[in-house]
Amino acid sequence: MKIVSCFSDLSELEPLAEAGADEFYTAVGDLPAFSIGVLPAADLPKAVKKVRALGKRISLAVNAIHAPATDRHLGAVEKRIRRLAALGVDAFIFSNPYLLGLFSGREKRLGAELHLSSVQPVFNSLSAAFFSRFGIARIILPNQLSPHEARKILLFCRARNIETEIFDYRFFGCAYVNGRCQLHRPGHYTLKSAIVEGSLCRINAKPGGLVKLRSLDLPGRAGELPALIKRLENRFTGGGSPRLSDAAAFFDFFASGVQYLKYGTRHDLPEVKVKKVRELRAMLGLAERLSSSNPRAEARRVFIRELSGWNGGGF
Amino acid sequence: MAVEKGIRLGTMTLTDLKKSGGLEAALRGFAWFYLGPEFCENLLDASVCDEAAWLQGRGKKVCLLTPMLSEKGAGRLDSVFKKLLRLAKSGALDPAGLEITVNDFGAFELARRNRLPFRLNAGRLLRENVFDDTGKAVTVHNGLALKFFRGLGVSRYELSTIGTPPDVNFARGGLFGFDRRTFRLTLYYPYLNLTSTRTCLVGMRDAPPEGAARGVSCARECRVGSFELAHPAIKEKLLVRGNTVFLEFPEKFYAAEKDLLRMNVDRLVYAPFL
Repeated sequence: MKIVSCFSDLSELEPLAEAGADEFYTAVGDLPAFSIGVLPAADLPKAVKKVRALGKRISLAVNAIHAPATDRHLGAVEKRIRRLAALGVDAFIFSNPYLLGLFSGREKRLGAELHLSSVQPVFNSLSAAFFSRFGIARIILPNQLSPHEARKILLFCRARNIETEIFDYRFFGCAYVNGRCQLHRPGHYTLKSAIVEGSLCRINAKPGGLVKLRSLDLPGRAGELPALIKRLENRFTGGGSPRLSDAAAFFDFFASGVQYLKYGTRHDLPEVKVKKVRELRAMLGLAERLSSSNPRAEARRVFIRELSGWNGGGF
Repeated sequence: MAVEKGIRLGTMTLTDLKKSGGLEAALRGFAWFYLGPEFCENLLDASVCDEAAWLQGRGKKVCLLTPMLSEKGAGRLDSVFKKLLRLAKSGALDPAGLEITVNDFGAFELARRNRLPFRLNAGRLLRENVFDDTGKAVTVHNGLALKFFRGLGVSRYELSTIGTPPDVNFARGGLFGFDRRTFRLTLYYPYLNLTSTRTCLVGMRDAPPEGAARGVSCARECRVGSFELAHPAIKEKLLVRGNTVFLEFPEKFYAAEKDLLRMNVDRLVYAPFL
């Protein structure tokens, strides 16, 4: 398994490589990308050169699902991507199929790989088959997918030589489906005040009195209501619904042969990025060591125990 | 042109609606019935096919909603599709009076493999591939997005009300490479689905630290009821049903049907049960 690290400044590349990054990815302001933290567009040619000199690969995220463009603007976007591919960008990460379609098919193909972003979540092997027809070389799996559920996707990808990538569960783990969430977009609700700590999905308050019943549709199950209300309150004040990504999930994906592990918080400070990549490298090292010297079940058990004691890394 | 009217049953079945005493009024008031789970695969059940056939027998048109799919849901949806095909073949179901709304690209693949004779729509969970409705406007990203879906047989898209008549860029389609006559919109009201999760907010138990959850399991808690959340940071209440969080816009958001047609909306779907 290789480590893919984000970066948003040229000065981050060498320390991240030393910390253990095998590949890099970034985004630039003049191409539509999901989330914040971008490299100045003028620095991209230098970044490609620097990454090459480090013997690594570089991808560019063009993965905004919202990609509004007049025809004229779209022509410029396409031209820019083709220029960047010629410049040496190794892969482009897309989510919106209409942008992906600009570069798939024999005559339109880039001299770079196409990767499918987790912002266009593949939850089943049929979706993987659907997007494979665009000629994608890698699928970045959404974190809301368990290794058990991903088995057929991984089999499909292996058979088609499509690489797979997962996120480090410790540094990325929204409970809501990426690319289909409007909690961060206050166009439809009225803010009373600036949202402290995060967004609408995390309520900075203690549980109690926040949730009440709106409609009871099955009176025979009314006895469940107190527990359901408590569960909802705990989830809205405590970080959301259950995560499918955890230490056990990581180990199972690792053991299933997923090839890439991503850290992608582009807006983190440079020193935080380096620390987090070191954490990825340490976790991967542990999984490799345990797997090489133990039967799989024992390696898994010890790995989970070790990661359960992870102290959060001080982030 | 008149705007068609439909009703979405949500987590209710026709039997539930009948028990609640609302079925006859719904049959009188609506031409379209929207059945099936839009947001969660755990509610997928082939019995919805018989409901569709029964409604068609009463002169109604039916749209079958389908959710995001894991492998488990894809298997269930395959059973639903195969049953629909059997009913259509036997004459119990008229393909012309049935639409299927897709909310996962895997369902398009499944529809293709099953050679479904039904019209396909792009659902609310796919809307952001084509439209931006995050502010006070509804805009098409670019004509190529519409063209891509047209290649899948889709010319109808489903959106939610955003509470006010939105600005649209449809009259300036030439700049964005599209012709507004090539697509139609279905608009749900009075709730906007703000976000969904796979791991149900209401139903799924917390996973123990020592083992990854195999998937999303529940006891259909979403059918028990819906909830409202007083978020301290916003004025509106957030509404929760199962794995999805909604906002409600109870006010009428159009003055006349011509306002809807200006937005390319030729079908309104009332969703009283979230």
